[in-house]
Amino acid sequence: MNNFENLTRRELLKVSGLTIAGITFLASCGAQSGVTGTANIASAGTVPPTTALGEVVISDTVLLRTAASLEYNAIDTYTKVLDGGLLTGEYASLNDAIKRFRDDHVDHAAAINALVVDIGGKAHECANTRVNNLYVDPALKLITADGNADAARDVVTLAHALENLATQTYQGIVALLTKPQLRGDAMRVGQDEARHAVVLAQVLNPGYLAIGPTTDEATGKAKVASVPSAFGGLASIQISLGAPNSEGAKTSLSLETPSLNGLVYDEISC
Amino acid sequence: MTTTISSAAPPTAPPKMPTSADAQLLSFAQSAELSVHDLYNIAINSGLLSADEKLMMQMFSDHHKEYAQSLNGLLGKDATNTRNESLYLTYASQLTSAQAMSRVLQSLENILVATHTDILSSLEGLDGATLVASIITVEARHAAVFGTLPNANLSSALNNTASSLAPNASPATTTSETTVAP
Repeated sequence: MNNFENLTRRELLKVSGLTIAGITFLASCGAQSGVTGTANIASAGTVPPTTALGEVVISDTVLLRTAASLEYNAIDTYTKVLDGGLLTGEYASLNDAIKRFRDDHVDHAAAINALVVDIGGKAHECANTRVNNLYVDPALKLITADGNADAARDVVTLAHALENLATQTYQGIVALLTKPQLRGDAMRVGQDEARHAVVLAQVLNPGYLAIGPTTDEATGKAKVASVPSAFGGLASIQISLGAPNSEGAKTSLSLETPSLNGLVYDEISC
Repeated sequence: MTTTISSAAPPTAPPKMPTSADAQLLSFAQSAELSVHDLYNIAINSGLLSADEKLMMQMFSDHHKEYAQSLNGLLGKDATNTRNESLYLTYASQLTSAQAMSRVLQSLENILVATHTDILSSLEGLDGATLVASIITVEARHAAVFGTLPNANLSSALNNTASSLAPNASPATTTSETTVAP
């Protein structure tokens, strides 16, 4: 006896409904007659060509050379701030702190590069090009543009972001470094960057009530916090810089720690 | 062009979970966290702090409790969940005024940073290493906050000359400190 004979009307409707849905789904997946196949999904305009990465190896030397490169991003940025006299007005008193931070980064770069050499790599003694291109250069351009009344404060905002970026980079590479000793060495430097970030956070949002996470009631955005969370985070860092547009909004930048296309591979030179 | 991304894997890749040697170090870290949590609570309940100071210390105390809980989660049945009594007793008697509390607790944050960094240098398991790294950055922030409030002192915020208490620390870096220098 056929089992279908025992189906109720309700069950029969269910089965037929599923069959129709399945046929529709399969039809949508299949090639249609008269339509030329393409690797791309339907899109308007021209898709720019992409350059794939070559064969790359992420080794301890690559990770540490990348960390060293970020130290040079900070060194170069602070040098531009100091040489350009960008800290003015109430922020001029921060120049000594910025000098101290720069000196610390010089020491960090030397320490990290010494580790690189110790494990058979080549020291990297210049800034990370991708970090400069994506974050530092656009930020400095916005800060120094005509009409930016908050240039000095924006400098502190950028410095705070760079210190947090460096902190996150060191914390992030702990999960990738193969030798425990190198992980400890990385965090000896990383914790120093976190301290720099706190000093700058207290300039941007001072006082006891600004230590933990708070929200700007007017904008709904998170305010700068000295201790943003109980555990060190690795999320992207959002900042707003430059002269406000006609609606009063500054340009937003989102900073992320170097990824595959931002690492300083062994074959990259300054 | 073919993209090949690979890690230069050592002969044996690092384990994910803590090894038995890791467990001992992480247990030590947990006991230190519980001690510092309890020391913060002495300060919080002393009646000597301003409302703002109390709020800050409550936040930091809660953080240390979260670290102990996270380490407990990682250690499982290996967790002792007991404070380091020696560390606790050494510093409890020094919490005699609001100013002393800030000084002592900042020093303890710096000691924890040094201790955890030392422990991290020996941990084989990646789960323990990443957890400890995420704790180190925030305890460094705690210490720096004490250097910026109530009055900003750059050296106090940035310098850490504390010694490690970790059981694996070399003799030169093992602390014999029993008081916190003013």
